[in-house]
Amino acid sequence: MNLARNARSLAAAAAVTALTTAALAGCAGGGTGTGTTTASSSAPAAAAPQVTISYGLWDPNQEAAMKQIAAAFESANPNIHVDVQVTPGQQFFTKLQTSMAAGNAPDVFWMSPVIFQMYASNGALKSLDDLGLDTSSYPSQLVKGCQAGGKLYGVPKDFDTIGVWYNKSLFDAAGVAYPAADWTWSDFQTAAAKLTDKSKGVYGTAAELNGQDTYYDTIFQAGGEVLTADNKSGFGEPQTIAGLKFWTDLIANGSSPSLQQMNDTTPLDMFQTGKVAMLWSGSWNVKALAASPVADHIDVAPLPRGEKAATVINGLCNVEAASTKHPAEVKAFLQFLGSKQANEIEGKTGTVIPAFNGTQSDWVAAYPNYHVQAYIDQVPVGVPMPVSKNSYAWMQTEGTTLAGAWTGQMPVAAAAAAVEKSTNDALAKEQG
Amino acid sequence: MSETALDVPARAVPRAPRPVVTRSAGEQARRVAKSIAASGGAHIVLILASVWLAGPFVWQVLTSFKSLSEATSVPLTWLPQHLRLDNYKAAAIGVPLWSMLANSVISTIVRTSGQVVFCAMAAYGFARLRFRGRNALFAVYLSLLMVPAQLLIAPQYDIILKLHLLNTVAALFLPGMFGVFGTFLLRQFFAGLPTELEEAARLDGANTGRIFWTVMLPLARPGLVALALLTIISSWNELLWPLVVNTDPAKMPLSVGLAYLQGVYPTNYPILMAGSLVAILPLIIVFVVLQRRVLEGIALSGSKA
Amino acid sequence: MAPNTMTDPTRRTRAGRVRPPAAASLPTRRPMRRSDAGWALLLVGPATVGLSLFYLWPALETFYESFTTSGPFGGHTWSGLHNYATLLHDTELRGALLNTVWYTLFGLLGVPVSLVLATLLAKPGRRFVAGYRVLMFLPAVTMPAAIAIVWKWLYHHDYGLINLGLGKLGVQGPYWVSDPHTALIAVAIVGMWAGIGYGVIIMMAGLEGIPPHYYEAAKMDGAGPLRRFFSITIPLMSPTIFFMTVLSVIASLQTFDLIYVLIGSSNPSLPQTRTVLYLFYEHAFTQNDRGYGSAIAFSLVVLVIAVTAVQFKLQKRWVHYE
Repeated sequence: MNLARNARSLAAAAAVTALTTAALAGCAGGGTGTGTTTASSSAPAAAAPQVTISYGLWDPNQEAAMKQIAAAFESANPNIHVDVQVTPGQQFFTKLQTSMAAGNAPDVFWMSPVIFQMYASNGALKSLDDLGLDTSSYPSQLVKGCQAGGKLYGVPKDFDTIGVWYNKSLFDAAGVAYPAADWTWSDFQTAAAKLTDKSKGVYGTAAELNGQDTYYDTIFQAGGEVLTADNKSGFGEPQTIAGLKFWTDLIANGSSPSLQQMNDTTPLDMFQTGKVAMLWSGSWNVKALAASPVADHIDVAPLPRGEKAATVINGLCNVEAASTKHPAEVKAFLQFLGSKQANEIEGKTGTVIPAFNGTQSDWVAAYPNYHVQAYIDQVPVGVPMPVSKNSYAWMQTEGTTLAGAWTGQMPVAAAAAAVEKSTNDALAKEQG
Repeated sequence: MSETALDVPARAVPRAPRPVVTRSAGEQARRVAKSIAASGGAHIVLILASVWLAGPFVWQVLTSFKSLSEATSVPLTWLPQHLRLDNYKAAAIGVPLWSMLANSVISTIVRTSGQVVFCAMAAYGFARLRFRGRNALFAVYLSLLMVPAQLLIAPQYDIILKLHLLNTVAALFLPGMFGVFGTFLLRQFFAGLPTELEEAARLDGANTGRIFWTVMLPLARPGLVALALLTIISSWNELLWPLVVNTDPAKMPLSVGLAYLQGVYPTNYPILMAGSLVAILPLIIVFVVLQRRVLEGIALSGSKA
Repeated sequence: MAPNTMTDPTRRTRAGRVRPPAAASLPTRRPMRRSDAGWALLLVGPATVGLSLFYLWPALETFYESFTTSGPFGGHTWSGLHNYATLLHDTELRGALLNTVWYTLFGLLGVPVSLVLATLLAKPGRRFVAGYRVLMFLPAVTMPAAIAIVWKWLYHHDYGLINLGLGKLGVQGPYWVSDPHTALIAVAIVGMWAGIGYGVIIMMAGLEGIPPHYYEAAKMDGAGPLRRFFSITIPLMSPTIFFMTVLSVIASLQTFDLIYVLIGSSNPSLPQTRTVLYLFYEHAFTQNDRGYGSAIAFSLVVLVIAVTAVQFKLQKRWVHYE
């Protein structure tokens, strides 16, 4: 039966293929892991033994910059090879945890302050107090973000702040003056109301439910706190509630689309299609906005001031895995990563704002059409992202609870009280 | 007699001679009309279903030729104004396309072959052989099916690490060569086949192995092809496991290249759609070829017994 | 020659089925074969070894983890049933469990849809079968981002096709994806939609295994098309239908990616749509509590096993093997 023949030949082909490819794969692969190896096939004619250290990161956009930094480091340290490993997106942390649990984490990797405390307090990172880093070279908030329990565990790498992007065409059409550098909450609210044109489906602003972009900033501007100095929730304070009300009021009076609408279409999409006139957005979005359909008629301004001026400032840290087998080489690399030279390389690519004081001008120069200097100017009033040992635990509940206030289902004060309770419960769990 | 939409005879079988039934011309016409109506009805249903199922894909293809503003317009724009190819160019830069393609192909072939072979063997064992602990073992198999894949990633990584196969192409396909889904699927197939053929073969003196190879496997061909197709799809699209277990871009499959692209252009849908289409194209070709072979195979195979 | 119901409990005869012309009569009992064990080892062995190494052992390891409080990086301290005790009081989990059950029930709708479509396609002389099959297969290869975008557009409150259609009927459609009352249904439909292509492939394969002489004989007996569908197609397809049902349940109980793609974290209907596996991921990977996450996941496994066991028990009533 030709079916039998076909099946047999199929199986035979499969078996041959399997054996061949297994053999090929065995030849091609054979790496001993993502960690460190002490042999290198392409060792230069250096007498010292070649050491390879791995550098884990998650943004393909910055891969070129990181590779440049690695190359610069290698030319100064010919016996060290830096293997830059990019794992895009959310999978980075899944992979990090998985490899760490097996004792195979990358030697150096990026770390975000939001999750930083967990790694540091669990002994996953090496203390960098003996690195000899001059911490005055970086904004103090960033240094704080890379510290845990009074010890330094990371080298500040970059930072981002929040600004207000505005659509000049919409402003012109509504006859509203462009934002001034010292504009206030009431300036913002008035402009938002004037810019809203329901008949055209245009909104003055978008009250995005995202702490870092919107409500943390206004909480700080109102003089409130998200986490108090003794690590409790600040949502019981009236100033915090005022910061939240800033946004719920905008939704209530129609200057912002509703939460449901913002779920159907993201605020960024709305801004990029000219449906929202002002968008609070972080400096990480500049590249995308510069390539968006509205790129030619937008610009950015610093955040308006409430009781005071404030913005959330957040920045990545370069950290060292406690499990590394090459502490000396890693130390040298980290020192280089924290140097002015490395930060300048970063700045020139225009992808992130480098942390080292005085190296930001290259990033600003990459976007001559926009006043992105506003992001840098706000650093002195920057408040670090509120973090704890397990930030996500309470942040997620906070978001879900505040959604109720955003949709008007519960009054802001009640939502804030609920958040205060759930956050305190989560924080208490961290201690115990 | 009219055959209607719901019948499924799939083979040309030599038929016993049937009594000839004479009909009036009017009755003939009515029957023809009924058959066309039924066929038309079936096609309407099929067309609607196809539109519903293929819609997002069509949008993806169209969007790959659009500009960014066309792609993000609210409401959705379906047709691009001009067909632009820069999205494809942008998608092609920056990823080691050819080595990733090779890795995808190798890993998919090996994995699918492994699945088909190992699952068919085990499925036959579970369906037809009697041995102690068979039902218990099958129960264990099934319970493994219910463990979500995300749960197993960390221990699997550990095992690959201990086997010194981290960051290799072999790591891509090794765990995926074994599967419960395939065993279950084929077991159902084998269990549903009539036993007469096996019994006849046994009478002829064939042992279990011969029966499996010459009788059962060919009969299970539709199931084998289905399993192969499904394994090919999931192997081709697999993302999390390759990302976790390998680090060198040259050892990554195409799906990882796509994830890189998403990292570079998080919201540039035209470029992402273009890249995804390029990555998916081999899969579609394989599907079109394979499913046609199945249809051909059935038409040519003649009677089953 | 009745099949050996005495020796194989998975087989059953069913009176009234059309039987093909018989070969020579065979003894009703096969002689016991000692060599079955040898062949069994050879045939079932390789798969079992592979599965044990890559799936069973990891599953057991993770099961062990559910009894520990884990530092996220490998440090485990035994905590016994503590995680499971916490689980029982977790209201988030209860909500997620309910959502997961609803997804499963909705997902089952895909089985009859796939069967009907496959049956329509498998008719001989059907034109464009290859074309239809390819089109129906496309959800399996469409980029998840594209799926999310198109479906979110379908569900869009102001511009979506569904609400536009409802508007023509004078009904104001809801915010499908953001309204807690409708979000689950909206996501469940997408889940069912995504599975239809696979279902059609599997069903068609099953249909090809049905001997055509059953239909011939039935037609000669004067059975109409619907009667043939219900009396021949469904009973003979019952092993495949059973397979699809079990798989649909297992897959739906493990719904996960869909929530991420359709429901954002700032979506007010997140509590009404998130599933057990989603919670597992949050706890295990986002909040780094692998021990508790594993406990959640294994509770899910137990649930799935229970449901599947019930399905297997029930199969004796309606699934026909030869």
